[in-house]
Amino acid sequence: MDFTERSTRAYRTKMLYTKEELAARESLCVHEQPAFCTAACPLRLDARELTRLTAEGDFSAARAMLERAAPFARILAAGCEHPCTEKCRLNEVPGCEGVNIPALERATMRHGQKRTGRGLLRFKKKKTAAVFGAELFTLVVAAELAGKSYPTAFYVAEPDAEGLLSRCAPFLGEEDFSAALDELKSLDIAVSYGCELTREFIAAEREKYDLAAVSRECLAALDAWEPDGVTLYCEGARVLARPRDGEGVLRAFYDARRAGVSADRLAQGMSPANSRGEEGAMESRLYTDLSAVKPSQSVQENGAYTPEEAQTEAQRCIQCECVECIKGCAWMQHYGKFPRVLTREIYNNVGIIMGDHMFNGAINSCALCKQCTVTCPNGYDMAEICLSARRNMVATGKMSLAVHEFALYDQLFSNGEAFLARAQPGFESCEYVFFPGCQAGADAPEAVWRCYADLRARLGGGVGIILGCCGIMSHWAGREELYEETRAQLAAALEAMGRPKIITACPTCAGALSGLGECVGVWDVLLSLGLPEGAPSACGAVTLHDACGARGDGHTQRAVRELAARLGCEVTEPEYSGDRAPCCGYGGLAGYAKPEVAKEMTELALRGASGVQLTYCMGCRDRYARAGAESVHILELVYGAGAGSPPGISEKRRNRLELRRRLLRELWGEDEMQKPLDFRLDITDEARALMEERMILDTDVLSVMRHYRESGEAVLENDTGLLVTRHRIGNVTFWCKFTEDESGYTVVRAYSHRMTIETR
Amino acid sequence: MDEQKSYYVIDPEGKLTCHKCGVPLVKANAVFGYLDNAFPVELPVCPKCGFVYVPEDLALGKVLSVEKVLEDK
Repeated sequence: MDFTERSTRAYRTKMLYTKEELAARESLCVHEQPAFCTAACPLRLDARELTRLTAEGDFSAARAMLERAAPFARILAAGCEHPCTEKCRLNEVPGCEGVNIPALERATMRHGQKRTGRGLLRFKKKKTAAVFGAELFTLVVAAELAGKSYPTAFYVAEPDAEGLLSRCAPFLGEEDFSAALDELKSLDIAVSYGCELTREFIAAEREKYDLAAVSRECLAALDAWEPDGVTLYCEGARVLARPRDGEGVLRAFYDARRAGVSADRLAQGMSPANSRGEEGAMESRLYTDLSAVKPSQSVQENGAYTPEEAQTEAQRCIQCECVECIKGCAWMQHYGKFPRVLTREIYNNVGIIMGDHMFNGAINSCALCKQCTVTCPNGYDMAEICLSARRNMVATGKMSLAVHEFALYDQLFSNGEAFLARAQPGFESCEYVFFPGCQAGADAPEAVWRCYADLRARLGGGVGIILGCCGIMSHWAGREELYEETRAQLAAALEAMGRPKIITACPTCAGALSGLGECVGVWDVLLSLGLPEGAPSACGAVTLHDACGARGDGHTQRAVRELAARLGCEVTEPEYSGDRAPCCGYGGLAGYAKPEVAKEMTELALRGASGVQLTYCMGCRDRYARAGAESVHILELVYGAGAGSPPGISEKRRNRLELRRRLLRELWGEDEMQKPLDFRLDITDEARALMEERMILDTDVLSVMRHYRESGEAVLENDTGLLVTRHRIGNVTFWCKFTEDESGYTVVRAYSHRMTIETR
Repeated sequence: MDEQKSYYVIDPEGKLTCHKCGVPLVKANAVFGYLDNAFPVELPVCPKCGFVYVPEDLALGKVLSVEKVLEDK
């Protein structure tokens, strides 16, 4: 199978999800849910933010928040029944008290500076409003309506402002009273004191205005029907009033806000019930991890908090938020977004027909490890979303081949040139087949060799071998066609061996091969057979990294631990282990798509790690070693076949080929003669480092030089004396800079590009 | 697109010689193509055999960045 480049001129699109499917996924993410205190407040005052600002000592910003939430914030702070306190999650921690949010509000109003400046110039509205009767509800409604720029008149029986305020908010202390009085006087409301609020007076005055709100007393005087429970509107009397059950300070503020919303609808000639959105207190679905919370007590409020006391109390707030997924995922940390937003951006990215797909990088760099499904309290599955998006991109011709081409050809190499599927010599069909996985053959061929010899010696019934890739690379790349082809190839090989039980040495292979036959981990086999002769029994301290391929597979996780214990390993578990283990950066082909993100994944997986890092996935073993950690695969320990520093991309291929040749030669007596090169080809260390970084294989360089020998095409750099030649292999043009003598060539630099080049 | 336009120009200034033909490379018209997009450029070309030379810094600089942009189209 060859891969051909797509065209950016093909404008195709395919919907990733229906609206419902998208909503079902997005709704699982609770990161943006309000904090429990905020949700409990009918005014939806963001108490978490208020506490944060207070904890930082920014009383003025906190005060501004309160003043934005409602007029007469002083009265609210003094009299609020604070349902938020009860909902504070700290109450659930034994011996811990919830944050005293109302005391913080009071402190905020006292210590914060009042906002100065007049704000935006606002024009008065044409519709006018009148408010009748003194109670807290009408006082706040008058302020709400004035705040909404309705010219507002307020008719009260009280003789003056003091009398009005004492009537509305009798619970105010001296300081709060005078501050509220100042606010009342500063408001743009035409207050008429000493009115006789009779039915006739109200009815006559009401007609002069477009909107009207009344106190309960005035409502009784009007002999009107009870207001609607949601809109607070009395149809017959055409006034807004609070319902009968609307007692309490907070309720008065909440009702006033709702009345304000109704007033807006009425002013526009709409039904007050129209598109009101969500109002009032709600249940929050937020998840908060309380496991690390230490019990603490509220600071006592003796009269009023000093700024320091307020700060101390506010600092007790744990700032409830759900960050469970991002804490363990380097990919989310890299993009700085939560699953809901990521999902939406991926959905939008896939929907782009023409133009830049800015989120391709994110889609292709998710490790598809499904850690989020475990860390998220609702099991959000980003892997499913990213994989669907990749398949969608492949289907619509939007997937760049450059991202995955190297890995896909590596799979083809594993299942082509380096593929081997044989029954054990002397057996036509086998009871078992050993499937070490492509990376085991690449990184630790000696361990694979010894393991296979041991399995043959100690297991009866014949043990066949399959050297190849399980197909996971093409699955991760979203290329299902190749994945299915690979499965068919493996299924045929297994069939030819008489459907043996598959012994896997890689949890990811085990997952990919399920369905093709019964799989058993090599660790399980070694546990039941016992350790081979010569296996170590005192390996000492190790940090055990669970493979992301073994997520949800408690059996394998336990088996590896048991095997490690028999090897005398003293196991330390990293912060995220078992089902919560992160990916090392190998998964999902992240390392090919975005090496920088994969590097962050490796760093996160190794955070705080020291000493030997024990793995049971060759991908982890390879990446940890590359990151400078001392890492070892458990098979290397069992068979005393440490593979040392990880091989380069070309050496990995050579190792696989060599393992295949060795097996063929020593087990089946077939010697594949390798034709030696008929010329000398040296590659300098500098060139080798460049090739590793630029994903150029030795075989690519060899092809380029062979082409040069045939064509003689090269350019001479007059000043350096170096020759430069090129050859196009598939979708890539490879260039080599080299020197030439009678015996052959020394390549000193190599580079490549995907663009074609022609003369015109 | 203007047929005469060149996105990138390199003059070999006599520093390069075609190894096969033994003649100096000259500045000549060439086209980079990728994913059905074409970019006319002027690069060092052998006037006899037509070998087009793409220097390393061009391949890993401008060419690579344009490839990346197109790959996300």
